[in-house]
Formats: sequence, structure tokens, C-alpha cells
Amino acid sequence: MASQSEKNIGVLMAGATVLFLIGVTGTCVLPFFDESINTPTASGKLRNYPANSAEARGRVVYIREGCFWCHSQAVRPVKADSKLGPVSVPGDYYYDSPVLIMTQRTGPDLMWVGSRYSPEWQYQHLENPQKFYQGSIMPKYNYLSEQDKKDLVAYLMSLKPAPTNQAGAAGQSGSQQTLKEIHR
Amino acid sequence: MTTSALRPYTTVRIFMYTSIFWLLIGMIVALLVAVKSVNPDFLAVNTWWQGYFTYGRLRPIHTNTVLYGWLSPAFFAMWFYLIPVLTKTPLFSERLGVFSAWGWNVVYAAGVVMLFLGRQVPVEYSEMPLVIDIPIIILAALMSYNLIRTIMNRKEKILYVTLWYFLGTMIWLPGIYIIGNIPGAYVSGIAQASIAYTWVHNIIGIWFTPVGVGTIYYLLPKLSGKPLYSHKLSLIGFWTIGTFYIWNGPHHLINGPIPLWLMKAGIIPSLLMIIPVWTVLANVIGTMKGAWYKVSESIELKFLITGSLFYFLSCIQGPFQALMAPNAVLHFTYWTVGHAHMPLFAGFSLVAFAGYYYSLPRIIGRQIYSRVLMNWHYWLSVLGFLLFAFAMWLAGILQGFGWMDGNQVGAAFVKIVESLHIYLIARAIGGTLMLLGQIAFAWNIYKTATAGSRVPTEDSMPALR
Repeated sequence: MASQSEKNIGVLMAGATVLFLIGVTGTCVLPFFDESINTPTASGKLRNYPANSAEARGRVVYIREGCFWCHSQAVRPVKADSKLGPVSVPGDYYYDSPVLIMTQRTGPDLMWVGSRYSPEWQYQHLENPQKFYQGSIMPKYNYLSEQDKKDLVAYLMSLKPAPTNQAGAAGQSGSQQTLKEIHR
Repeated sequence: MTTSALRPYTTVRIFMYTSIFWLLIGMIVALLVAVKSVNPDFLAVNTWWQGYFTYGRLRPIHTNTVLYGWLSPAFFAMWFYLIPVLTKTPLFSERLGVFSAWGWNVVYAAGVVMLFLGRQVPVEYSEMPLVIDIPIIILAALMSYNLIRTIMNRKEKILYVTLWYFLGTMIWLPGIYIIGNIPGAYVSGIAQASIAYTWVHNIIGIWFTPVGVGTIYYLLPKLSGKPLYSHKLSLIGFWTIGTFYIWNGPHHLINGPIPLWLMKAGIIPSLLMIIPVWTVLANVIGTMKGAWYKVSESIELKFLITGSLFYFLSCIQGPFQALMAPNAVLHFTYWTVGHAHMPLFAGFSLVAFAGYYYSLPRIIGRQIYSRVLMNWHYWLSVLGFLLFAFAMWLAGILQGFGWMDGNQVGAAFVKIVESLHIYLIARAIGGTLMLLGQIAFAWNIYKTATAGSRVPTEDSMPALR
């Protein structure tokens, strides 16, 4: 009942490898050649932190403490994101390594959180979120060192869109492209 | 000690026993995470506890432990048991197998320590740093080598379809580990995100799915006493999984900041996944025809059929979520948490439980200690999961529509959080039931290994009909 080719593990494994590589090419290689991905926007450039700056160190704290498990960093062109600020585009993430879009919004989105609160507010909120919102389920981050807390606040404050007045050609072309996509 | 001194299937036993240990650890951590979602000050005894047991560190420890401490080794046990059985050939090297099994556990334990220390990579299911990933890749490749050599030595020339699926995973598991963990550490931007989501989807899609489906295709005829309904259908399923699944990654970024072509490249194959899923469903129903009554007699079969059903439901739910409109409501909500547990716990973990209950007595020559505990394991797992999942799905829907009403930041957002409190409590209760089920499982396996009544060991190479 089985044909000869069905007894040959070479055919099977070669087929499995080829199919795997085709998919990898499509989803993991081709994006490197996409212009919208390869062109940083003005907002993207704001996230190109110098090494060992407070923002860069704060980003390390953000990752180490797992903030990204509850906070996404992406604003989509959908109704559920209507109050979160400008829609995020591929070029906004040009310098992010790794990208922190993530998958959960147990807490609010932080893509542009830097334009919503003052540094003092952020610092106090990290210390004791329940002081501001009784029903908040965010842990208190008062256990972090003073340095870590300040760095983290610096990172959060850096998450804001670039000022809109002629923020550079690259930024403009990036946002125009998304606009076209939204209207499609 | 020489190779001949090792009893056959030692590798399988190591994987089985250690994976049950990790299953309990992983689910205890899960419960901590669930309680912390209800009360954020839980365990915040002092700064030491606050730091090492913060939600953001415990969550990846939970997901990694159940995925790579429990479920992956559970299916390695199936690899190392079923391949010698189906090829009627002893394992190429039991010694290498034992080395891989202990190696996996040691590397994995080191990874957990690193997660506690906050050395996490923000890529879901790939949180462990490169120093852990690389030995894991080498160990996966060593296991594949060991088993491929076994298959090449085979006495039974015909490759039963389970072996097809298993051989596929021997390419795909090391392959996706390499693609998903190594380049992403050196690149940035959306191209890195696309690699990350290809990984997230495919550690499920081209590892857990094919290895689980392969296990279903072995156990189903054995437990139902009926030959597999259609060999051809199962092969169609194999090739369509290989063709479409790997493309599914970008569907995690639907409506997100990626080019439209990439979104389409993720959505279309997600919908085509209906084909391989349907082949499994048709084969399960076709095989069970005239044997459904056996579900009431065999607890192993009950586990297997329930697992297959939940696998099917996951694969209906998945493409639904990959449509742009439902995704706009459900993405980023608790719905995803419910969805993620369906294939991995209610689907493939139940299949693995059936595999353990079936193969352990045949390996150690002892009967399962208690059928009553097996039933408790089944009902606590299934009912606990249903409570857990419906709590998450309902919470997700409420969350999604709450945000659409404009409650997206500040006090308005917290108002939605407060309204979900009851669902988070329900999740913790459902999770507790699931954990109790696993305690029954672990106790039963422990008693089976130490005090199960002896049965003559079946010929270690039971014939494939």
C-alpha cells in the first residue's frame, strides 16, 4: 500500500527542510528588504539612545523587571486604540532591539506614554500605583534602587512622538505610507 | 558502565519523571502569577521577595517551565518510546539518549535561575538568553541524530505516519530554535519582531503540533482497537502543516506596525490551516466509528479524544482571531491567555497524559496504580481548564469592548481592570483545579513506578499491524 517514496526518509526530510526554508524566507528574511521597515521615522530616531544614557539603562530595567509582560508598545489604527496617540509605523521601531510590542495590555499601552505624564508623576506611580488608582493591579516598584527608578522614569519619558513640524523627510514618508494603508 | 548495562527506555523514563516534576513547578508558579493578578501585594514580604518574585519575572518562568520543562520533554519521551517500537529496532544509543535527557534538565534548571535573576529576553517563549539557547539547540540536534540513526537501522521498512510527523519535527525543532533565537539577538526593528513572532507561533506550529499529532496517530488505533481511517489523509495533513504553519508568525501583528504584504502573508496561511486540522478531525472521527463506546471504558482513550477535540477547537479559534475585525477587539486582551492554554494544556498535554498512561506500564512492567486517580486527573484537568478558559475569554471580550468605548488610559482604564476582578479570581480557581489534577497525576505515576502491580513486560517491540 505504501509507495517506495514513502519508505525513503531522505525525501521526507528534504521536503520538510525546503518547506521550512521557504516560510523562513518569507517571514524572517524578506522584511529586511522592506523600505518602510528600513527607514527610521523622526519618532524612531528619538529612541536611538546613546550607550549608557539614562534612557538606555532604563530600557534594561524595563526588560529585566518584565514590564513588557503587561504593557504593549503599539498603537493600531483601530477603535480600541483611538485615544493612545499617533498610529505607530514600522520606522518607529527602527532602533528597538529587541522590539517591545509584545502581546498583552494588562496595563495601558506605553508607546507614547512620555507625552501623558510628568517625570514626578511617573516616579511616584512606580513607588505606589495604588496611591493613584485604588483598583490597579500593578506591583509596587519601590524595591528598585534609586538609580534604577530614575533611569526607568527617563526611559518612560522618552517614549513620545517627535514634534510634527517638518521632522525630517524620512519621518514624513513613513507616516504618509501608514496613512495610505489606513485608508485602504 | 557500558552501553549494554543501560536498560532499554531509560531515556524515556528520565524524561517522564523529570517532566512531571517540572509540570508541578510550572503550575505552582502559574498559581502565584494568577494570585498576583488578583492581589498585586501577594508575596511582597520584603524587597527580596518583591524583586525575585515580581510578576514580570515569574510569568516567563511559568511559560518556560511548562513548555520546555514539561511539554517538550513529554514529547521527547514519546519520540524515544514510539520510534524504537514503530521501527522494531533498539535505540541507536541509549547512552547518548540518557546524556541528552539529563543535559536538557540541567541546562533548563540553569535557565530558570537566570530568569529569576532577571536575565530575560523580551521575546515570548524565548526568554532564556543565548547561553541557554545554544546548549538546548545542541541537545535537540543530538536527540534527532540518535533517533534518525535508529530509524535508518530499522527492521520495519514501512514508515508509519507517526514516524513521518516525528521525522519532520527532528528538522523543524532544531531549525526553529536556530532561526528564532540566534539572529534576533543581533538585529533590531520590525524585521526582528517578525522573526520573534515566527518563533512564537512555530514553536507551537512545527514542534508541539506535529509531534502531538504524530502521537495521536499512534495512540488512536492502539486505544480504540481500530485501524487508522485514512493513511492518505494523514499524509495530506503532514505536508499542509509543513507548508502553511511556518508562515503564520505575522498574524500576531495584525493591524500592527508592519507592512500590509507581511500581514497578508500571515493571515492567508492562517486560514489555510483549516486543511491540516480537518484531516486530523476526519481521521479521528473515521477511526472512532463503531468504537465510541470505548471512551467510557478506557480513561487513556478519554484523555486522547478530549485532547484531539481541544486541538481542533484551538485551530478553529486561531484562524478566527487572525481575521482583522475580531483581532481588533481581542488582541492584547486576556482572550489570548485563554487561547494559548487551549492547544498546549487542554490539547497536547492531554495527549501526552494519554501517552504516559499507555507507555509507562509497557516500559516498567507495572500497571497504573489507580484508575480512580486517573479519573480525578482527567476531570480536574478538563473542568479546571474550562473554568479557566471561559473566565479568560469573557474577560477578554469585556476588556476589548471596554477599550473601544474609550477606556484606554488612566482612571478609565483602571475602571475596566476593576470590573475584571471576578474573572481573575475565577481563573485562579480554575488553575487550582488544574494543579490538583496534576498532583493526582504525579502521585499516581510515583505509586505506579514504586508499587504498581507487576504485569509481564510486553514484548518491547509490539507489532504494528
